[in-house]
Amino acid sequence: MTAPAQTLIQGAPKARPGRRRWATLLGLVPFFLAAFLFMLLPMAFLVAGSFQDVNGNLTTQNYADLSQNFIVDAYITSIRVSLATAVAGGVFGFLLAYAVILGGLPHFLRTALMTFSGVASNFAGIPLALAFIFTLGHVGFLTLFLRDTLGIDIWAHGFNLYSEIGLDFTYMYFQFPLMVLIMAPAIDGLRQDWREASANLGATSGQYWRHIALPILTPTLLGTMILLFGNSFGAQATAYALTAGQVNLVTLVISDQMSGDVLHNVGLGYALAVGMVAIMAVAITLYTILQRRSERWLR
Amino acid sequence: MMRLRLTPAQVFWWIVFILGVLYFFLPLLATFLFSMRSQPLFSAYTDTLTRGDFWSSLGYSFVIGVITIVISVTLVMPTAFWVRLRVPRARPFVEFVTLLPFVIPPVVIVFGLLSIYANKPISLTTVPYGSDLLLVGAYTMLSLPYMYRSIDAGLRAIDINTLTEAAQSMGAGWTRILVQIILPNLRVSILSGAFLTLAIVVGEFTIAAYLARPAFGPFIALIGRNEAYTPAAVSIVSFGLTWLAMGLIAFLGRGSRTRVRVAGAH
Amino acid sequence: MSIVPVAGFTPDATLLAAAQKEGTLNIIAIPTDWCGYGPMITAFAGATGLKINSITPDAGSGDELTAITSNKTNAGPQAPDVIDVGYSFGAQAVSQGLLQPYKVATWSTIDPKTVDPNGYWYGDYYGVLSFAVNTSVIKDVPTDWKDLLKPEYAHSVALAGDPTASNQAIQSVEASALGNGGTLDNAQAGLDFFKQLQQAGNFVPTVGGQGTLASGETPILITWNYLAQGYADKLAGNPAIKVVIPATGKFGGIYVQGISAYAPHPNAAKLWEEYLYSDAGQLGWLAGYCYPTRYADLVSRSVIPQALSAKLPDVSGAVFASAAQLAAAKTLITGNWKSEVGVSVATAAP
Repeated sequence: MTAPAQTLIQGAPKARPGRRRWATLLGLVPFFLAAFLFMLLPMAFLVAGSFQDVNGNLTTQNYADLSQNFIVDAYITSIRVSLATAVAGGVFGFLLAYAVILGGLPHFLRTALMTFSGVASNFAGIPLALAFIFTLGHVGFLTLFLRDTLGIDIWAHGFNLYSEIGLDFTYMYFQFPLMVLIMAPAIDGLRQDWREASANLGATSGQYWRHIALPILTPTLLGTMILLFGNSFGAQATAYALTAGQVNLVTLVISDQMSGDVLHNVGLGYALAVGMVAIMAVAITLYTILQRRSERWLR
Repeated sequence: MMRLRLTPAQVFWWIVFILGVLYFFLPLLATFLFSMRSQPLFSAYTDTLTRGDFWSSLGYSFVIGVITIVISVTLVMPTAFWVRLRVPRARPFVEFVTLLPFVIPPVVIVFGLLSIYANKPISLTTVPYGSDLLLVGAYTMLSLPYMYRSIDAGLRAIDINTLTEAAQSMGAGWTRILVQIILPNLRVSILSGAFLTLAIVVGEFTIAAYLARPAFGPFIALIGRNEAYTPAAVSIVSFGLTWLAMGLIAFLGRGSRTRVRVAGAH
Repeated sequence: MSIVPVAGFTPDATLLAAAQKEGTLNIIAIPTDWCGYGPMITAFAGATGLKINSITPDAGSGDELTAITSNKTNAGPQAPDVIDVGYSFGAQAVSQGLLQPYKVATWSTIDPKTVDPNGYWYGDYYGVLSFAVNTSVIKDVPTDWKDLLKPEYAHSVALAGDPTASNQAIQSVEASALGNGGTLDNAQAGLDFFKQLQQAGNFVPTVGGQGTLASGETPILITWNYLAQGYADKLAGNPAIKVVIPATGKFGGIYVQGISAYAPHPNAAKLWEEYLYSDAGQLGWLAGYCYPTRYADLVSRSVIPQALSAKLPDVSGAVFASAAQLAAAKTLITGNWKSEVGVSVATAAP
């Protein structure tokens, strides 16, 4: 399909490299300018603040403090929760999106799911925590229904909403929709006729997935999972409301320092945030490497 | 579209879908059932719908949301297009910037913004709509991860090199290319990004609170303290209203279904 | 705007004029359901013609100090004029240079144990930690800390916040020490108590609030008496809430007022303080079930209406921790909660 188009591009004359380079970079100016004004400058404030102590004097103590056990544990827990919700959220979210787009379901369900996902993607914090408490808490309506009508007592069998697993399960409420919404255009691009064409040529379902669908979708799948990772990594209000800080997350430690009633070492909060930025940088680097590899499959 | 008989594959997809529906609706149902415990019946809902501050804060957030969507699309679409087309090397940098909003705690963003723009000599917060401008700026940043990823996914699915070359060979300038050729092909992506942005704006609390803006997030936090059943009703009502708004955006975005195909390419 | 005078509050004319020129008052972290503040704000606005701007009503004490610090040179709707913070934050604010001294007209009648002698901060009200009990779920109401360990209260008891971050939750743990054989100097008994509560399966590790109290998820909520009584009033029997002050271990918590050294409207701030410490303001807090720091004076002059007196809980014998004791307990509890009491992170799934 793209073969004649390729020759069209290759046949076009190349522009003069030197002069064009500056002009092409100009196209990125508005974006970076906006980011600079509204995000990078405040971030500079964050970095500067991380080197200050409670009274405003310069110090590197905040970074030294990062090696404390409970902080290291917080980073590990945050990464673990974010990975779990990114992968699980990514897989099921992808399946859900595929189901309504190419799975043969009635078309109106697709619109319903897309619009619903828009809302659900940001249903978080106290309302989400309460919704799950009302559903699966000790006296949640589903808990009681399973116990009184079906005789299954989930809490007696070890289920615990107020735990890391419970938190992961709750986080899915905004992870699934995010995956659905971002994968939708990519799945859309996967033409229905390719599926039929591959079937006509005798390929099985498995072969279709392995040789056509997944290679095309993998870059977007990976990229969206990084997004899910970041989304989960930065979440705080839901975790606080649901588990009262029992699950030790970096965002909770930061909010303890910056806006709680108690600990109040704002500089440490900033240093923790810088740590988070570093971790996201590593995640993105990994993603870029993976993505380059997977894009080669397309050639 | 042909109607297929129910294949094993379709059964599988139906099961997936139903599981999804269960997961999403049961918590909403539980919230609804709790809100129905108020005495007298439905008082949580009448209370919600007759509160002036419910409508004013929701309306304020919707307006801010729409403004943010417009600015975000205008900023991100040309950028994502340009990166794909001409400056692929800049990609990791652009993506890193779009993922930063996740790791900068909102508290830091707002304190940073205040210390730069609210201080003399700029003193933006004392100017009418100055604080609102800061809010929109902050929200545009928050929308970046979603808007960029969404639009990028959409761009990946179309062959922008061919489209651009063809358009240029017919004499189109950049603006025309973006608006008349690329934009229509990104309908689904932009809608996705718009949905996500609107939801973020309506649900956001920290930045709106610290900028002392009358937005919906601070309203929800406030009402959660004072009442038991009304917050549950507020959750349901705002969920429903936001869903309706999404439906409206989807409907408006429906427009023409023409997809630009390059002549000669199958 | 027409002025509606309030009985018991006669503002000084010069101060009133200066405040009206400023036109606005920025308050912070004041929820309208806390200690009767809602009606008090309305009354003050009506009596003075000032516009009240309520910043982040849900914020914590730490937020209030941060709000002053980060808005030192900002004049805008997000810079607070006055703060209402936990007891230990008064001294902290002074050490960071965030407050300006001011002594209200009724200064001499404020309980001297609760104020900074130089006038930088001054106690406003106090309450004691209590159990808010949902009696439609809990038939046999507990009367003391030790009762909470009984097996009939399985997964029923919750705190109103995170014990490593929330003032109220930390002081709840400190208070439980008193009911468990400990003293104000050593909060370890409190940590031990919650560990027992956790092991007995009675503790629900979530943030309890009016919603979870009413739904029955956290039918025994440890919270300030004024909040508990507020919930009981608000829910109005749906479900019925009983407020229990524990028999041993009545732990009092004081909040303090202060005027920001960088207040954009200093005269409005001073006028607000005059209102709060006038009889009208003090009775306003009392109506919200908080004991104001001029309580002894009000009682001696018999200005408290009988109907109001009848609703107040008996807090005789309540103990108040000193700033040093609070700080020590805070360090102990926030440092050791996770390791001694915290639920283990990866709980086994079935």
